[in-house]
Amino acid sequence: MRLDSSRPLLIRLFILAVLVLVPPVAIVSYWAMGEFERGMIPEMDKKAAVVGRDVTAQVERAVDLGIPLDGLVGVDEFFAPILQANPEIRYLAITGPGGRVLFARGIAKETLAGHLMRAAPAGDDGKAAIGPYLDLALPVGSRAGIGGQVHVGFDQGYIGTRLGDIFYDIVVVLAASLIVAFEILMFVVFFNITGPMKLAAAVVDRARRGDFTHVPGGVSGDEVGHFIRTLSTTIRRADEQFRSLMAYIDEVRTAHFDKTVVERAGEIAERVRFLYRFSETGRPLVIRDQLATDIRLPLFLFVFAEEMGRSFMPLYAREFGTSFAGLSAEMLMALPIVMFMVGITVASTWAGAAIARLGTRRVFLTGLIPAAGGYFLTAFAESVGQLICLRILSGLGYALVTVACQTYIARATVEEKRAQGLGVYVGAVLTASICGTAMGGVLAERVGFDATFVISSLLAAISGWLVHRLLDAGQDGGADRNDGDGDGKSLLRLFANWRFSALLLFAAVPAKMALTGFLFFLVPLILWKAGLTLPEIGRTAVLYPVVMAVLSAVSSRLSDRMGWRSGLVAAGGLIGGLGLLTPLLPLGLDAPTGVALAIVALGISHGLSASPQLALVPDVCWIECQSFGRTKVLALVRTVERFGSIIGPILAAAFIPAWGLDGAVVVLGSVVLALSVIFMLCSFAFGSGLHIVAEEDEE
Amino acid sequence: MIRRGFLAGLAGLTALAAGRRAAAADASAQPRRPYRIYMALFRGWEEAAQGFKDYFSNQGIPVELIVRDCAQDKSKLPEFVAEAKALGVDLVFTWGTTVTQEMLGTIGAVDPARHITDIPAVFAIVSQPVGAKMVPNLQSSGRNITGTSYLVPMETQVNLLRSYLPVPILGMVYNPLERNSLVAIDELRELGAAQGFSVIAAPVDVVEGKPVAAGIPGKVAQLKQAGAGFLYIPPDTFLNVNRDILTQAALDQRLPSFAAAENPVVTSKAMFGGVYRYYTVGQLTAYKAEQILVHKVPPRDIAIDAPKRLSIILNMPVVRALGVYPPMNLLGLAEVIDGPEIRP
Repeated sequence: MRLDSSRPLLIRLFILAVLVLVPPVAIVSYWAMGEFERGMIPEMDKKAAVVGRDVTAQVERAVDLGIPLDGLVGVDEFFAPILQANPEIRYLAITGPGGRVLFARGIAKETLAGHLMRAAPAGDDGKAAIGPYLDLALPVGSRAGIGGQVHVGFDQGYIGTRLGDIFYDIVVVLAASLIVAFEILMFVVFFNITGPMKLAAAVVDRARRGDFTHVPGGVSGDEVGHFIRTLSTTIRRADEQFRSLMAYIDEVRTAHFDKTVVERAGEIAERVRFLYRFSETGRPLVIRDQLATDIRLPLFLFVFAEEMGRSFMPLYAREFGTSFAGLSAEMLMALPIVMFMVGITVASTWAGAAIARLGTRRVFLTGLIPAAGGYFLTAFAESVGQLICLRILSGLGYALVTVACQTYIARATVEEKRAQGLGVYVGAVLTASICGTAMGGVLAERVGFDATFVISSLLAAISGWLVHRLLDAGQDGGADRNDGDGDGKSLLRLFANWRFSALLLFAAVPAKMALTGFLFFLVPLILWKAGLTLPEIGRTAVLYPVVMAVLSAVSSRLSDRMGWRSGLVAAGGLIGGLGLLTPLLPLGLDAPTGVALAIVALGISHGLSASPQLALVPDVCWIECQSFGRTKVLALVRTVERFGSIIGPILAAAFIPAWGLDGAVVVLGSVVLALSVIFMLCSFAFGSGLHIVAEEDEE
Repeated sequence: MIRRGFLAGLAGLTALAAGRRAAAADASAQPRRPYRIYMALFRGWEEAAQGFKDYFSNQGIPVELIVRDCAQDKSKLPEFVAEAKALGVDLVFTWGTTVTQEMLGTIGAVDPARHITDIPAVFAIVSQPVGAKMVPNLQSSGRNITGTSYLVPMETQVNLLRSYLPVPILGMVYNPLERNSLVAIDELRELGAAQGFSVIAAPVDVVEGKPVAAGIPGKVAQLKQAGAGFLYIPPDTFLNVNRDILTQAALDQRLPSFAAAENPVVTSKAMFGGVYRYYTVGQLTAYKAEQILVHKVPPRDIAIDAPKRLSIILNMPVVRALGVYPPMNLLGLAEVIDGPEIRP
């Protein structure tokens, strides 16, 4: 992203923010973790004591009933559910007289016997550190001479593991708050400082050349606003003085008896008019500047809200049960994602027309109602049916809001700086995606799914409030700069251009399929099945936007400089497809590592290909872009690639019953890879020239 | 899991409030006069009768119980029928298959002169309500009676038995004159085919149309020799009467025994049992009586069923004598009967 001339100020402010935010959070977290560790050890002791007493009581009952300690039956089955319900307890065992291990589960009898042999005698509380375990021994002693003990074993590393989880959660929260702080800083700097200063500079520059026809607009209450007001007042004052001077000269010219004086005064008036220009009407024009960055913070917050549910949506859907309208359990988990995409597709087809009529601000605010309402009601959904309807609603809103933002940015940036404007959009979406995906997992684990959706709706509401308060209602008129013409039907003729069709079907569509089918749908399921917690799933999924953010900056420069766009797109597709084949690798990776690798590959793939892919569109259909307008062609591209988003989860869900989760990843990967290979072959025939004329058009 | 704890809580509160209102409405609908219930018993006041009575006291339903015991004498039952009719009671309770058949009449043989027909009736401790021709099926009697069954389903019994000790061969002594036992053998064999165990059944000797108790120990020894690892004791009246002979024989042969009824375990030497306690059955029967008397549900609309909670009873002196110990999880669920040591 380009930060323009505000870069030094912004960077200094950001460093300040880091300095202000990080040390206190780090100190408080460090202190809190110490407290947690101190608090957790007694808690674990208590738990061990409770479990130990419970087991001992039952063993004593058996012994009291006359069953010899070494004749207990079904001890393994007795221990199993207790160990399963208490993951921090690693083993349970019963020893007889002389410390002979009679029964043990969770540890081999010989191992435990060895540890017990070597261990120092337990203290009064029966606790002893044996090997990597903390062992609590309770005597089975209702009858004299039994000499048996029940042993409850803890993993000493367990506390470390739990602390590690909390540490990562804190890191995620800290990173997300820094990003949010940066976004807010950037907004404040651009909106309150850089923007007005630029206007002031423009006005002063005019004044330097004698042009006093304009005053800067947009007056805030702060120092910058005060300065702007003073500048306006000064220019208005100059205007007034000009007018009184002219009035005086006029008076002299009409009333003076000496003709030479009148002529002289006339000359002075001409001279002044030649050197300085003032408003014709006496009211200097107020100039305002619409900045692409003005919409960045609301857009960021809104996408943040949506992305919070990203890492757990299929898991959330699963909680509503597995039967609805005769669909398979997998399909039910996929449907909320699919229907969200359907909502986006439907709304984005008429979002453009709505913006042309109502303007970006009103469409943004209109779209927020179904989106935020959808998140809020999702927290109270009672069935899969309701969840699906709410996802459609949120999808409709999401499309309206994001298209409104794109249009706002496009209008605010002049044609030559389009790429920069696009950078504002992509930057906001990617950073929001990073924050949302990671934070969503943490929040869902700590406060629950429902509360997370309520927080989403609040974020979206704040985003709406910002737009409502800060964007001028009057400044964005309806009239769209509609470049070119041509109705929908003739637009379909674009598909006759084989290069365009190949780009869409074999590059854009498979990219989206992999994104929604794999990352949105399969990743949460696989990682949950592998026993990862929600924050861990979020941390794994966030690799995608992180890798993509890093790479997309590089790749857009690469593609512009080297003009090697189709090559990058093809390479991206192949990497993404191959990445999904990681379950086939004979490396003996555990599931989370394999998934993480595939996600990184997907991030590389899309990071390499996303912007070259968009840039390639005008290359492959230059003529069509001229006749229909680039906006319309790009809108068609987006609509078609959304079909990829819709079928991705459907395909993945259909593959699971036949091939399992890993199999579904591989098969989905194979489909993506096959399509990418076709694109690669096509791209060899694309030729390298920029002005490829669609031959089919010349019939 | 993580979601909607508080929503469920809310729903629970609402349901609770609704329940309270309903309870209040019921209380106000109760008449002052106590319900009069005629209790016809077969062998004196015991646990089922006690459970029946306690239910009404616990629920605060006023009842006047007219208790009559025929002391296993069938001939007194016609007098009971006449008396119940003369008193004009609100409900009749019958205990056991014999009392129930004699006082309420079997399907196709109901005589309004000899049987209770107009007064609603509930029966308890009838082992085979369908087999005894009291009702055509367990969903509805089709007439003015309902009741409870007290036998644990055979599959539950077998699962329980095999959770103690999964033996490959199950032995069983039975009275060939009792239909109950024949049904039990068929059910056992069917389950055995599915779960991989076999069943050896030895009928007791029948002399002049009557089963002979003296032959029981020999039959048990015969089963032990054939390789049986567990003795299954069916809910059989003849074996119930002679339970001491049967269970002592099993103990002598060091054969663990499982009973489907309470008596062989509680008052004799069967090793363990999975039963519905008579007391619980009595309470469930009283619940059905409440439906009829207080809530005015026609008896034909009330299904005949058994209690939900199974009682696992371990006879510890026998367990110790045999040295065949129960698994810890089973022990955790079981009620234990303990007493002085006994010897095989």
